Amino acid sequence: MIELHGVSKTVMSGGAALTILHPLDLSVPSGQFLSIVGPSGSGKSTLLGLLAGLDTPSTGRVVIDGVDITVLDEDRLAQLRSRSIGFVFQFFHLIPSLSAFENILVPLEIAGVKKAPARAKALLADVGLTDRGHHYPSQLSGGEQQRVAIARALANDPPILLADEPTGNLDSKNGRLVVELLREVNASRGMTVVMVTHDAELADQSEVVLSMRDGQTDVITHVKPPRAAEA
Amino acid sequence: MTFVLRMALRELRSSWRRLTFFFLCVALGVGGIVALRSLIQNVRVALTAEARTLSAGDVYVRTDQPLASDTRAAIEARVSELPGVERTETVDMTTMVRLLDDDNIRTKVVELRGVQPEFPFYGRFDLGEGQPYSFDLLRDHGALVGPELLTQLRLSVGDQIVIGDIEFTIRDVILTEPGRQLGGFSFGPRVLVSYDAVEETGLLTFASRANRQLLLRVPDETQVEPLVDQLRDDLASTFVRVGSYRRTENRIERNLGRAENYLSLVGFVVVILGGIGVWSVTRVFVQQRLKSVAILRCLGATTGRVLAVYVVQVTFLGLGGSLLGIGVAQLALWVVPDSLADQAAAATGLSAISTSPTGSAVAQGLAVGVLVSLLFALVPLLEIRHAKPLLLLRQGMSVPRAGVDWVRIGVLASVGAALVLVASWQAASLEIGLYVVGGFTLVSVTLYIIGRVLVLVIQPLQTTAWFPLRHAVLNLSRPGNQTRVILMAVGLGSFFIIGVQSLQTNLLSNFALELRDDAPDMFLIDVQKDQVDGVRSVLEKWVDPVPRLIPVLRARVTGVEGREVKFGDIQSARRAGLGREYTITYRSKLAENERVIDGQFWDDRPSEIPEVSIEENLQKEKGLQVGDLVRFDVLGRPIEARVTSVRAVDWDDSRSGGFMFLFRPGPFDDAPHSYVAFLQGPSDIEVRARLQRDIVAAYTNVSVIDGLDVIRTLRRVLDYVAMAISVVGGIALFSGGLILVGSVAMTKFQRLYESAIFKTLGANRRLLTTMLVLEYGVLGVLAGTVGSLGALILTWVLTRQVFEIAWFASPGTHVAGVVVTALVVGVVGVGSSIDALRRKPMMTLRAE
Repeated sequence: MIELHGVSKTVMSGGAALTILHPLDLSVPSGQFLSIVGPSGSGKSTLLGLLAGLDTPSTGRVVIDGVDITVLDEDRLAQLRSRSIGFVFQFFHLIPSLSAFENILVPLEIAGVKKAPARAKALLADVGLTDRGHHYPSQLSGGEQQRVAIARALANDPPILLADEPTGNLDSKNGRLVVELLREVNASRGMTVVMVTHDAELADQSEVVLSMRDGQTDVITHVKPPRAAEA
Repeated sequence: MTFVLRMALRELRSSWRRLTFFFLCVALGVGGIVALRSLIQNVRVALTAEARTLSAGDVYVRTDQPLASDTRAAIEARVSELPGVERTETVDMTTMVRLLDDDNIRTKVVELRGVQPEFPFYGRFDLGEGQPYSFDLLRDHGALVGPELLTQLRLSVGDQIVIGDIEFTIRDVILTEPGRQLGGFSFGPRVLVSYDAVEETGLLTFASRANRQLLLRVPDETQVEPLVDQLRDDLASTFVRVGSYRRTENRIERNLGRAENYLSLVGFVVVILGGIGVWSVTRVFVQQRLKSVAILRCLGATTGRVLAVYVVQVTFLGLGGSLLGIGVAQLALWVVPDSLADQAAAATGLSAISTSPTGSAVAQGLAVGVLVSLLFALVPLLEIRHAKPLLLLRQGMSVPRAGVDWVRIGVLASVGAALVLVASWQAASLEIGLYVVGGFTLVSVTLYIIGRVLVLVIQPLQTTAWFPLRHAVLNLSRPGNQTRVILMAVGLGSFFIIGVQSLQTNLLSNFALELRDDAPDMFLIDVQKDQVDGVRSVLEKWVDPVPRLIPVLRARVTGVEGREVKFGDIQSARRAGLGREYTITYRSKLAENERVIDGQFWDDRPSEIPEVSIEENLQKEKGLQVGDLVRFDVLGRPIEARVTSVRAVDWDDSRSGGFMFLFRPGPFDDAPHSYVAFLQGPSDIEVRARLQRDIVAAYTNVSVIDGLDVIRTLRRVLDYVAMAISVVGGIALFSGGLILVGSVAMTKFQRLYESAIFKTLGANRRLLTTMLVLEYGVLGVLAGTVGSLGALILTWVLTRQVFEIAWFASPGTHVAGVVVTALVVGVVGVGSSIDALRRKPMMTLRAE
């Protein structure tokens, strides 16, 4: 469960205060697939950064599974990310000096997981890249890189998956594949997925769509009934 | 820990090629330390093994006067308490050798040694003909000579030479000999004859400078040190020196230890230069790794763990570089043996010196290499803390900085302190460690400031209409560039080289000055009182004006009753820094190079009590004052004199010599004393030789020392020193070049990207090449100017403030230095960027 209480972000720009996210209350129940849509500069990525504890809000609190993460120090936040949050980025952000297999291995090693290689191998298979494990990111296509990134995000089986424009750098076919993958983990593993996108069509694949404009929530649409009702 | 180790190894795998320069920078310095330390440690080992050979006996008693009968009796009394002690005596003096053949006018100053049949107790002679040494070779006026005497006088074994009044037959050549003192300045080749023959030459009857030595062999080794202590007590009131082979060994050990530490500092300086390279490479490396770091943090790694990954990586690199350095040292030591090791072995009279790296040198090299890598990498690695994972969500976002980074300042201070400790460890002295690191910091800061100022000076060029020049200059001052690092590293290298070269020019120019037209270049010593008129008349034939013959005596201070200094025995004189033997003279007038700065100089009338005038340093440094009473021992005769004046002596003007103690005429009229003369010999070599020959033939005890020979020897020493420093400068410049190549290679990606953009905007290859040439040309000129200005300051400070000699600008050296530096930087810079010119822009842009 992710809860936001009066969370806002103000930055200094050219000597003047600029509010890039107006105070926001939001609650994302466990297992929900939430999309955040909006044009460039609407505050989507800022919101995602605050959810993950990558940024500190100017006001308000972010609570994840009952823990107020706004008061945690950097090392605690790192531990929280290691345990509870997986990331998928628009630019994949794989470590270029490591092979696909090693990229998946890293979060497992950071968390001190035993039998990490076996788990990484299984994850590679899950995203259909068993044969590409020894390849470096530069040797993989965009779609393959993003699949490796998703496998990496799933490595420690985190309850939350955050995706920042995961299809932004892919063609439409690969984009659809990636979103399908996200939907599948949301459905099969009960993972909370928060996806930022500016593609309304993709957003419609999720349960709830949060539209943003100029740092404010515009409208919240329930595309599908909550999973709890489905069950 | 597994994560840290695995991640470090993976990073190493992917980046070792880019970090090759890191490697090389460390290897060079470590190689220097290991090679130098090993060489000296091996000499030490060899010396320790042959320590007795160096003294040729267990205990020695040395004196520069004939042993007085009571002194001899005291020694006998003590030695006879121990059973089985053997004794032998030697006598050493500097004298002249001439040839029997009247047509052969050559003469030569030699180091004559007379020995008895028992010599040596330890060690052995190596003779040229391969025969074993036996005293029989010296019987009946036989002589063994140093090989250089044969070449210099064009003689061969079997020929005859004349020393004093006696003819000797050369029976063989001495290659190595036991009992030769290490590192002593030698006036000429060795000539070995029998002790009795030296007495026969008649040279000892005059008050000439002969050093006598009584050597003892003590059968019970445990008795050696007690015997030395007892003899020292017994002979405390005399001028004899007592010691043992073990003490000689200890002294040599100490000197070699000091030499080892100083030389290791040279290696350390190179390691520090390598450290600057490490710093620069790490800085760029970290910038390129910021995204990976952000990813790792996003994946849950704490700052500490990520930092640990890179610290471990640097440790591996430092270790690898150090191992490579040890390999380099081994290689250097393998190359050395023929030249240096053999020379060192010959000079020290040792049979052989090992040329493998020693364990302790290897351990120290490894430790210093890893430590310096870590210390210099730590500050740039701290940047990792600023790699926020938020970077991944916002492309192109700059890293926000807090105001004062106390951690960074703290780490910088700790690194500085640690470097002082490492330098102190290498030099085995905290003071020297502080000086080295302080000096390095001072030089670096000076060069850094000069670099900053120069970059400011060329700033107006940023608005020039010529596109390539404008961009070349802009490139030098854009944020995050390598200008400052390259200026400092290459500037430091050129600073060393230009500095050493111009210092050498300065020293040689001053030397040439000292040999000005009226400077004496020939010295007559040991002229006896009754020979003065005769010598003068010989000189009249050859030189004009005939120099004054100056009376000299040898004296020691045995007591002072003064305002500041008070003591009454020989040991206190040694402690007061007045223990050495002084050459004194007397005259009624001041010489041309003297003036009185305190007290009153005497007039022509004789005085009631002896009066002495002292040189100003005795007042300044030893505390003697006008009015003080000083007691002297002049050839065994006590004399008490009152200080009545203090003189300043212009030592550069050596025509009248210079004397620390000058007496009022009177007290020495009857004392046995000799005369010396400083003269300008004939310029023609043949005439010079005839003059020397005439004097030596007529007055066999007189030594004629040719100043030109001495100056040649000094010049050679100076050349060696200059060469040694130039090698260090060369290595420094090489390190500077490495750092340059490293920095250019590390910024290659940025350069590729820029070139691609320029190309898409329509720039052709020629324009880009011109920009590159200009950029690195300007950088090279700036670096050369930094080094040159630094060298200018260095030579001025050293010549004017330290050596107190005249300063010459030597513009040629500086101009050449700037040109060469600019060329090196230009070629290396453009050469490393050629890839950026060749690549198709699309490839680069797509990769970005």
